[in-house]
Amino acid sequence: MILDDSLALRRPFRERSFGVVRKLGRVNWLFVLCVCLLAGVGYAALYSAAGGSAEPYAQSQIIRFCGMLVMMLGIAMVDIRLLAKLSWPAYGLGIALLLVVMLAGHTGLGAKRWIDLGPIEIQPSELMKLFLAMALADYFKRATPEQTGNPLYVLPMALAVLIPVGLILKEPNLGTAVITATIGATVMLGAGVRWWWFAIIVAIVAISAPVIYHHLHAYQKARIDIFLNPGADPLGAGYNIIQSKIALGSGGFFGQGYLHGTQNQLNFLPEKQTDFVFTIIAEEFGYLGSLAVLGLLFGIVALALHTALTCGHTYGRLLALGIGTNFFLYCFVNLSMVMGLIPVGGVPIPLISYGGSALTAVMLGFGVLQSIHVHRDVTFASPDDL
Amino acid sequence: MTLTLRPGEPPPARRKGAPERGGAVPLMENVRVTGSDLDQRRVLDKARGRMVIAALLFLGLYGVLAAKLTWSTVVHPLLPSAAQIAAMQPQLDMTPPPPSRADITDRNGTILAVSLPGAELYADPQQVPDPEAAAQLLANAMPGINVADTALKLGAGVPVSKRKEFVYLNRKLTPQEELAVNSLGIPGVYFENKEERHYPDGDLASHILGGVRVDGTGLAGVEQYFNQRLTSNPQPLVLSIDAGIQSIVHDELAAAVKEFQSPGGCAIVMNAHTGEILAMSSLPDYDVNGYGNASRDSQFNRCVTGTYEPGSVFKLQTVAMALDAGAVHYWDYFDTTHPLRIGHFYITDFEPAKTWMAIPEILNVSSNIGASRIAAILGPQIEQAWYAKQGLLRPSDVQLPGPPMPQFHPLNHWGLATTLTVSFGAGIAISPLQLVTATLPIVNGGVRYPATLLKIDPNNPPQGVRVMQQSTSDLMRKMMTNVVLFGTGKNAQVPGYIVGGKTGTAQVVGPNGGYLKHTNNASFMAAFPMEDPQYVVYVLVLQPKPDATTYGFTTGGYIAAPAVSRIIARIGPMLGILPDTGDQLAQLQQQLTVPLNPTAPPGARALGPGNPLPPGANAFAYELLGEKPPQPPAMPHAQANDNLAPEPSASRSTHVRHDGIMAPVSPMMGSHMTARDGGNDGQA
Repeated sequence: MILDDSLALRRPFRERSFGVVRKLGRVNWLFVLCVCLLAGVGYAALYSAAGGSAEPYAQSQIIRFCGMLVMMLGIAMVDIRLLAKLSWPAYGLGIALLLVVMLAGHTGLGAKRWIDLGPIEIQPSELMKLFLAMALADYFKRATPEQTGNPLYVLPMALAVLIPVGLILKEPNLGTAVITATIGATVMLGAGVRWWWFAIIVAIVAISAPVIYHHLHAYQKARIDIFLNPGADPLGAGYNIIQSKIALGSGGFFGQGYLHGTQNQLNFLPEKQTDFVFTIIAEEFGYLGSLAVLGLLFGIVALALHTALTCGHTYGRLLALGIGTNFFLYCFVNLSMVMGLIPVGGVPIPLISYGGSALTAVMLGFGVLQSIHVHRDVTFASPDDL
Repeated sequence: MTLTLRPGEPPPARRKGAPERGGAVPLMENVRVTGSDLDQRRVLDKARGRMVIAALLFLGLYGVLAAKLTWSTVVHPLLPSAAQIAAMQPQLDMTPPPPSRADITDRNGTILAVSLPGAELYADPQQVPDPEAAAQLLANAMPGINVADTALKLGAGVPVSKRKEFVYLNRKLTPQEELAVNSLGIPGVYFENKEERHYPDGDLASHILGGVRVDGTGLAGVEQYFNQRLTSNPQPLVLSIDAGIQSIVHDELAAAVKEFQSPGGCAIVMNAHTGEILAMSSLPDYDVNGYGNASRDSQFNRCVTGTYEPGSVFKLQTVAMALDAGAVHYWDYFDTTHPLRIGHFYITDFEPAKTWMAIPEILNVSSNIGASRIAAILGPQIEQAWYAKQGLLRPSDVQLPGPPMPQFHPLNHWGLATTLTVSFGAGIAISPLQLVTATLPIVNGGVRYPATLLKIDPNNPPQGVRVMQQSTSDLMRKMMTNVVLFGTGKNAQVPGYIVGGKTGTAQVVGPNGGYLKHTNNASFMAAFPMEDPQYVVYVLVLQPKPDATTYGFTTGGYIAAPAVSRIIARIGPMLGILPDTGDQLAQLQQQLTVPLNPTAPPGARALGPGNPLPPGANAFAYELLGEKPPQPPAMPHAQANDNLAPEPSASRSTHVRHDGIMAPVSPMMGSHMTARDGGNDGQA
């Protein structure tokens, strides 16, 4: 009789006799709690963004989140080895969706990024980040140090990263493209690829930056220009950054009070419910409130990395690292943008910003992450599993 | 390089530190450690190291964010620009928006009506948690609010779902009450901004101003007449009224009405050269701030909407028309020795004279017989033409809603009786304002001006219409001065002023269509100063009761003339007309009178005994002369045989009854009519 509460080590994939109840017991509920807390913060911020009303943002967003939460727990019940088998088909699907969006995508704010699927809109670039991490993790799950040190072994994966990154750049979506590339690099680094290879690549990119800048879209150039000198055109392209900074500044230490943020309630920031939603928190809850949210965000990343560290198999480790990195980059890019550290990039802050696409992608990733956590003790050793 | 555990050796019992499992042995399957396993372990270890590095890197980046956050929010916050801070301030604009309804002022700019911001209190009873408690609190905050009523309005005792969703609790909140109710903080009770019409002087000029509904729409008076103008043009509406004079006129009329226990009265002061109404007071009146609460009797404007038989004041018209037509001269004498009998009623004089009278004396003693004689000579056509051009046969064109049509016998049916009675102001009922307007030309040199309630620009005086010769007006002024100096109007004398005028004492028509006994409407029409009349003053006291000061009389000379005197004495200096004194006064008096017993100028033959009618006198005059001497009414059967005054249109009796229709006082019959009549009937 098996009395161990772990999902018995080295149990063959075929025998799926682990009960759902036991699997639920192994879910990282602290992680789920953090995610729910963050969604609550998002509800409060969106309620305030609408001037103290659940309509039109907070209500629909929280309903969407509840659906995604169920989906996340559902995915967590799926055996990670099954997901591993689906890695490359998912990668293929992601590439196909990127091609579809390129050919017949939904145009939003001057860029083709969305595919409209009735109730939910999907932004394939968001999904692609997860699928890329899965594919890379699958490729490297059995790689020896000798293999990861072999450029010929690694090169196909470099291509596997560059193809979606190129497609996303073509959309154009500079922010997501950089994030996708960074996720790919992180997973490969985690797999043991030589770190100085990446150093060389970064150096090449830095040297060729002026050339890249020359080929950027006008609005992308404008964003970089504004970042370098936000005061140059305060009512034009620099307006968002200035107003965002003012919102942070007017919040002060304790904030102006919930629903009393002047920058927010007086609508100095257009479309603040999406990318700039953090300014609402900073303005109305002040430094303390923002720091708490920052802590919550890092808590989620830390729990994801904890899953990676405690996972018994390389596939799970690399994938958990990729998912954690993805979430971290979302938050980091968004917050840096809001605080004026990097150019505005159109990257939302997951679980807080209004919108379904990023939420869907992030919660899908969290589902996979929890599947890794639940199935952290399984083995890929059996030939049946491969 | 495969290492396999030797069979037979016991499997490791448990991991170091693992809990004791009560002897149970974990079931191990495929327990092998291969070279690839070791590779895996190496990879895992390397990955673990890199993940720790990644975690530290992430933590560091979060640290950067936290540092930047600290910098942006606490250390060096970027504060909003001054313009943004200004935009954040609540918009407390203390200057009220321009009122949607223009002010009304008097001719000197004194505010008579003003719109101020106010508030209405309403409630959604479904949101009020405890109606009884709320009603008590509201009543404490707003004196005059009934607790039980308010609780009922708020749905006390009714299930929440069955309550109304909207009730007005108070539609006129004072600012103090608004503040008090607001600080109560009762849920479901709301304010609604509104504009409140205020009349600072309360009942001053109430019938002129009229009043507004709760929603601010004009309901009566100029508020109704100029509703469109007041809501479309923010400039104040400047009336011809002078608030000071209005106040005096109101006080003096009220004093007279009170002294003689009158049910009502009317007084008017009009500029003789422009038709501007300086004061117009009707009693009883009301507080304009509460038009809706006033009784219908109070709301009734006796100056404009009421029509009354003018009485002897109308003799001014008769004499003026006769002189102006050239039919008679002021030195002509008329037979006033006996009453005139028409059908079965008589035209008599108040103090019968046994002599023939010249025109000045006819006015002085107010002889009905004399006026009738003159009217008979003129005939109905001349009378009607005169009344028409004096505006007495159509409604007044003053700027007030709904002036009534004067009441008179159908114009093509004026028989002898009508022709005669109208001459002394019976058998025709007109509004006091029309009477005053028609008196203007008699004193101002012969030019008619329409009555107006709007101030007239002195630089743009109105173009009047000449209705009589200058000489007629001059003569009339002298004879009016006679009346005050020597005649029935002595009580209208004012020290230092030369006042001219005419008394009026009209009988009152009762509910049965006949004249009431012992009930008069007493009036006095005056102008001053008579050397160059600037203002016409008229006072009408309805159905006065005599007292000691009137020696038991209820005539205009005793009831209304003293009030006119007091009004002129008070308003004269205010209007810049200073009293004359001593020799100057006597000299003016000398110039402004005519002899009561004038003699015809050389070469002219005056009418008189033996020459009663001028050539071209109307047939009615001969009818009167064809009469036998009047019979005392002791022989009523003789009247039936008398073949006098054949009326072409109707039998005598119906005609007389027709003439008796006069003076139903108004479309809105005042309550005083019935009340007083009942008393009189009882006495009779």
